[in-house]
Amino acid sequence: MPYTIRKKRHTWLPAVFLTLPLLVLLILGLVPSIAAINLALQNRVLRYSDSEYVGFANFLRLFGDRRFLNAVQVSAIWEVVTVAGSLIVGVLLAVFLFERIRGRARDLLALLLIVPVLLPRVSAAFIWKFMYSPLMGILNWLLECVGLGGTALLSDPATALYAVALVDIWQWGLFFGTVILKLLETLPTEPLEAARLDYAGTLQVYAYIALPMLKVPIMSLVFIKMVESLRSFDLIYVMTKGGPGIATETLDMYAYAQGIGLMGKVSYASSMAVLMMLATTIIFTLLWKRVAKWEN
Amino acid sequence: MKIVTAIAWGGVMSAACLSMSAASAQSCSVPVLKVLAQKSLGLTVMEKTLAEYEKKNGTKVQISYFGENDRRSKARLDASTRAGSYQIYYIDEANVAEFATAGWVVPLLKYLPKDADYEDFLPGRRAVASYKGVAYFAPLIGGSDFLFYRRDLLEKAGIAVPKTLDELVAAVKKLNNPPNVYGWAARGQRGSGMNVWRWAPFMLAAGGKWENNGVPTFNSPQAVKATTLYRELFKYSPPGGATYDWSNALEAFRSGKVAFMIESTPFADWMEDPKKSSVVDKVGYVRPPSPLPSAAYGHGLAISATGAKDECTRQAAGKFIAWATGKEQEQARLKDNVFSDYNRSSTIASEYFRKHVKPQIQAGLTDTTPVSRVTIWPSPEWPDIGDNLGVVLEEVFTGTRGDVQSALDEANEYATEVMQRAQKRK
Repeated sequence: MPYTIRKKRHTWLPAVFLTLPLLVLLILGLVPSIAAINLALQNRVLRYSDSEYVGFANFLRLFGDRRFLNAVQVSAIWEVVTVAGSLIVGVLLAVFLFERIRGRARDLLALLLIVPVLLPRVSAAFIWKFMYSPLMGILNWLLECVGLGGTALLSDPATALYAVALVDIWQWGLFFGTVILKLLETLPTEPLEAARLDYAGTLQVYAYIALPMLKVPIMSLVFIKMVESLRSFDLIYVMTKGGPGIATETLDMYAYAQGIGLMGKVSYASSMAVLMMLATTIIFTLLWKRVAKWEN
Repeated sequence: MKIVTAIAWGGVMSAACLSMSAASAQSCSVPVLKVLAQKSLGLTVMEKTLAEYEKKNGTKVQISYFGENDRRSKARLDASTRAGSYQIYYIDEANVAEFATAGWVVPLLKYLPKDADYEDFLPGRRAVASYKGVAYFAPLIGGSDFLFYRRDLLEKAGIAVPKTLDELVAAVKKLNNPPNVYGWAARGQRGSGMNVWRWAPFMLAAGGKWENNGVPTFNSPQAVKATTLYRELFKYSPPGGATYDWSNALEAFRSGKVAFMIESTPFADWMEDPKKSSVVDKVGYVRPPSPLPSAAYGHGLAISATGAKDECTRQAAGKFIAWATGKEQEQARLKDNVFSDYNRSSTIASEYFRKHVKPQIQAGLTDTTPVSRVTIWPSPEWPDIGDNLGVVLEEVFTGTRGDVQSALDEANEYATEVMQRAQKRK
């Protein structure tokens, strides 16, 4: 009898506590999603009071829309560059600090390194936009000292996206450096010492022992950054507005331009949002499964 | 049982509220007017005396400010969803056609008090505030174009002020001496109010046309010629000049690095601000060289059709608009050292204006007013068409696209599709 009571409590209590929040989540998540799908199947434009269902016409139009196809490509490049860049900068920085800097200096540096990520994105974007300015910016002044003056990185279609990505990496890479540094500090010292006794070089110690031991938390960082990188709107909007031309126009920027910006084509923008939702759900599920396998 | 009583009470209370508001509408007092606006120096000056207006008229005025693009989208959302949260919208030349055809704003003159003297607004302002001959907003700010030129540089090089486009191009090339001075600066960044705005006079001056009976024709050989020239001029502008917005162009010019620029007239005031400009008293202002027209624009206040449903509210809104854009307000702006937000003939003719605005700016205004005209395509589809054209032009200017003809063909085809879709829905 006591067993059954315990069992009953065990099964019902979570349900009691979870039903309400799950219901709220369901409403908050499902209602906008269904509304977006519903909107994507119509030809609603803000200027007209009427609209009708047009099936998948918006989706078909998307695949012939060069700005959309370009935005998919730009978003993919942005995602890869910022996630990989932040991770590489973070790991290198953390290893450097862990190896070379000790005591209070390390703590102080760690504190300084998280300052960029604490800056509001819009402020960071403005600061860097001014620094990049070819006439008055400090970066150009520095480049001039080495004979590379007069370069307008944000105005060149070939460099603009990477110039903006650098700001993102500056914010997140340095922050990751601190996080990974703190993770390294939590590692037991024995395996590392053992490896060193076996004449493993510094690089080998980190590449084969320390970092693989931190694989799971680092993957969590990667996931956080992947989601964060999808929301690049503020940075790009301030620095380039998606230009030059469409060289830095990501999917969210293009959807904004079509739906809320000047055009008011909300159905068309919704169809983009729905596609983005599908794509991210599929990609993230696949990646998640992959990572779950590693953990096992 | 308690719940039932509460619901019943709620019903009674809301019914009472409804009947009260109905009664107040009948007696024609409007307690609150909500204004969706964009910050301007003139409005800041107006706010100083707003309390007096509210006291005198018994109407509270609540102004919500947004940035330009947010203001546009917010107004569009408010009107299209029939939310009607605002009685007064701040609109501009780029969306007056859209708002008027959709019936989101009402013809203004019917609700302006008799003494508002709408005819006193400068002809260029009235032109941009109207759609198909009907006035929809009363201007708060506006202007047309000046050719800004560095008097000192021209004198030193012995060059006369360019009167024609060819002379301008020659002078730009002659004065270009990087990295000290660049010959030219202009808007290159995408946007219907950005690069398209500055490019349009070039296209029209070359003999191009926006449309023929509603069919877009801005891929003509003349338009291609104009675009090629516009692109070439960026060779003589500061690094990154092909993606400049207007503020970048202004900053480059007033930092003393640029010899020529065509920009909107109110910015002349920016050049003469000793705190921020290094070219005070060194700049001359004339009409854009012939055959370029001077691109007129204007922003102002209009009455929302859904926000102000009844005649009484519309009249109250009209009264406020007349006050906020009236002669006294324009004089108050001048006295507050705001010399950029003038829209009335009487203001320009006033003694205070004559006395305090630099003679070179006044001379420029006399020069450029006769050639001021609407240079954008006043169509409800304009925001869509203009935005796409802006993207294509920026690609041409920054070198992503080499072939001007095919780029304009594509933008023109896009515009044709937009027009056809719009036709179908009418």
